[in-house]
Amino acid sequence: MELDLNREIGIIGYGAYIPLYRIKDEEIGRVWGRRAGFPVEEKAVAGLDEDVVTMAIEASLNALKRAQINPKELGAVLVGTESKPYAVKPSGTIVAEAIGATPATLSADYEFACKAGTEALQTCIALVKSGMCKYALAIGGDTAQGRPSDELEYTAASGAAAYIVGPKDEALATFEASFSYVTDTPDFWRRQVQPYPKHTGRFTGEPAYFKHIISAAKMLFEKYSFSPEDFDYAVFHQPNLKFPIRVAKKLGFPMEKIKPGLVVGSIGNTYAGSSLIGLAATLDVAKPGQRILVVSFGSGAGSDAFSLVVEEAIEVKRDRAPGVVDYIERKRYVDYATYARFRGKILR
Amino acid sequence: MSAPFYWRDKIIRYRLVASKCKSCGTIHFPPKKICKKCRSKDMEEVELPRSGKLLTFSIVRYPPEEFVEYAPYAVGVVELENGVRVLAQITDADVEELRTGIEVEMVVRKIKDLGERDIIVYGYKFRPALKRSSSS
Amino acid sequence: MVHIIGYGCTPVKEHWDKGIRELAFEAALKALEKAGIDKVDALVVGNMSSGVLAGQEHLGALIADELGMSGISALKVEAACASGGAAVHSAYAMVKSGAYKRVLVVGVEKMTDKLTPQVTSALAMAEDQRFTVSPTGVSFVALNALLHRLYMERYGVKPEEVAAFAVNDHKHAVNSPHAQYRNEITVEQVMKSPMVADPIHLLESSPIGDGAAAVVLSSEPEGDSSVEIAASVAATDVFCLFSREDMLSLRATVLAAKKAYEQAKISPEDVDVLEVHDAFSILGAIALEDLGFAERGQGAKMAYEGETLIGGKLPTNTFGGLKARGHPVGATGVYQIVELCMQLSNEAGKNQVPDANVGLAQNVGGVGGTVVIHVLRGV
Repeated sequence: MELDLNREIGIIGYGAYIPLYRIKDEEIGRVWGRRAGFPVEEKAVAGLDEDVVTMAIEASLNALKRAQINPKELGAVLVGTESKPYAVKPSGTIVAEAIGATPATLSADYEFACKAGTEALQTCIALVKSGMCKYALAIGGDTAQGRPSDELEYTAASGAAAYIVGPKDEALATFEASFSYVTDTPDFWRRQVQPYPKHTGRFTGEPAYFKHIISAAKMLFEKYSFSPEDFDYAVFHQPNLKFPIRVAKKLGFPMEKIKPGLVVGSIGNTYAGSSLIGLAATLDVAKPGQRILVVSFGSGAGSDAFSLVVEEAIEVKRDRAPGVVDYIERKRYVDYATYARFRGKILR
Repeated sequence: MSAPFYWRDKIIRYRLVASKCKSCGTIHFPPKKICKKCRSKDMEEVELPRSGKLLTFSIVRYPPEEFVEYAPYAVGVVELENGVRVLAQITDADVEELRTGIEVEMVVRKIKDLGERDIIVYGYKFRPALKRSSSS
Repeated sequence: MVHIIGYGCTPVKEHWDKGIRELAFEAALKALEKAGIDKVDALVVGNMSSGVLAGQEHLGALIADELGMSGISALKVEAACASGGAAVHSAYAMVKSGAYKRVLVVGVEKMTDKLTPQVTSALAMAEDQRFTVSPTGVSFVALNALLHRLYMERYGVKPEEVAAFAVNDHKHAVNSPHAQYRNEITVEQVMKSPMVADPIHLLESSPIGDGAAAVVLSSEPEGDSSVEIAASVAATDVFCLFSREDMLSLRATVLAAKKAYEQAKISPEDVDVLEVHDAFSILGAIALEDLGFAERGQGAKMAYEGETLIGGKLPTNTFGGLKARGHPVGATGVYQIVELCMQLSNEAGKNQVPDANVGLAQNVGGVGGTVVIHVLRGV
């Protein structure tokens, strides 16, 4: 899928949410006998009373604060996640009701591992472009579960971000192009009633993460004659610190262009929230006229690539809601036992 | 309690909705059908402000059945910006460090999980107000 | 005039071998024997939670049957923890109106068959399920704790001063034959006891227990009867505690007390012996203020300084109150009447208040949603 958007449509409001609690990788390592080589410093942990629905609500309310629209004008509320509270009952309807968007709204939950959020975003772009909706809300978030002692436990984290898509005259950033690239690649999956996913170790690297991000980015560059120099910022899916840094290098982006959006070291991998929170962190500092590349990655596998240009309205809209840094700096550490309790790993 | 029981009050729980007397302006929370001041039955729905001060609180260490997995947790009376008071759980706070008088703000959280085969109930709680750094 | 011609009660404790009907039977029989009668025209049962804790409703007909009195009018009255007082109030109205000559009132509660979280849930039903309990998980203790903290901060009162109510209750319970706890406790012990819902400690919260108390009301001064009901009033307040204008006053107490003093033609100074509903020590302090015995913010001090002990200015809860005598919730209001009767009939043994002639009982439902006040006079 490729879409030439010509900056007719954009993001009119965005918001993020990160829970209060953190656990250090060192603390997880203490329990499982690992001393070094941690993929991130610490990760965000959802509290006892949080889940994807609650995080999505706060991220969406932040997006609405920036957008300043009547929530009833939202024509769609789409939630992308792989940690839905209900297997059957859309998270989207609860979010829609809580933010005041109901009842004249389309709602559904999307699944495509870590790219479910950008997928919801793709659909929102299409809904607005086709004229079906004046405004459409896409949310990506997860309360990712790591199997105790597994490699992924050191990064599986909680967080969400929300984007309201609308017409360019209200946008704080507009879309130039959108591209989607998918293949059937079994790098990471979770069967129906399994509590934890399974992954294929090093196979998740080259044939999965790198292949899809690089292919999507390169095809976007080719079609629109872009090169890395044309972009001021690049945001990639962040399963750990190493991968996004390496893919940036392979694509030709210097560190300072990915730094504002590189949040994984402080909050871990928020799965469907990852690239979207990275984009929010970038929008928190970007200036009008700057161009941002966003390339997500979801296991299974695929990538969505977007090219965005920041508009004047960002200066007015940005401060209406908390920034990603506000949530990152609000933190309280928990030990492994408390983390296990919070994440429901203790049998009662 | 059952799914329909919780469904009936969802808008009140999700958006902190009160009733306001169209005759004398008195706001009622929980929402009422008749004004306690002027006895008018002409009431309208209003959403309450979502920020306020913590007037008093307690720490529940022996909870009712459906809340056992969350103990200990704090509940408090919040005086909202417009003077209306609400009773709510206080979340995102170390119960031992809570103090009266702090600024709090409303969030929507899981109130309770009725069980593996049952529904999740969401609703308002209050948390210590999020600090904003000047640069963002 | 409505006369109390008989009264009796079971001890308050964990009655493992007795259910609702056995408890009710025991108390009723004592009251009927004291009255020297074996028949009444109606039965009123006060109880809060038989449905949820025992799966049993329809207690009026059930207990009438247990008493071998099937055929008579029998009703259950419920007003949360004021069910007992409300039952007496209903019976009072039934006799005063002339509709019935003799009415037996039984307050009964069986709380110990279930576990603490289930009992906590049952007690929380006294409060607004939709807007107080369900959205917050607040327990009944925690609601009172909100008042306790606010009271201390507003009036600059120390936790030890509030705890005095519980200490005084225990002192009186030493010579109270039916009390659940008959040991003395100190303020330090209260402070050291675990928190139930901060800032309320375990030793200043009424315990869970089983019990039944009964009184027989009559339109005539039958037998040895020497107690009249001089006033019987019930009042309500704004249901949600946080919606009230002043959270630290139970308006239902103030309203009921005003009417009760008028009905009995007395003022607070005339009260010789007092029963207040101190489910938590803070309620005792606030009750003294709402009933006109202490200035606002001075209620705790009054108890702390011993004025509410037997021998003091205003002997209060002379058989142990809710903390030490116990609080089988629906029965408590009737226990208070039985205890006042013992005082006014000179049958209070070691706890006798000399020349006790006027007694007042305050029974509270929820955190003041309902308050029932009785004024009794010895004749």
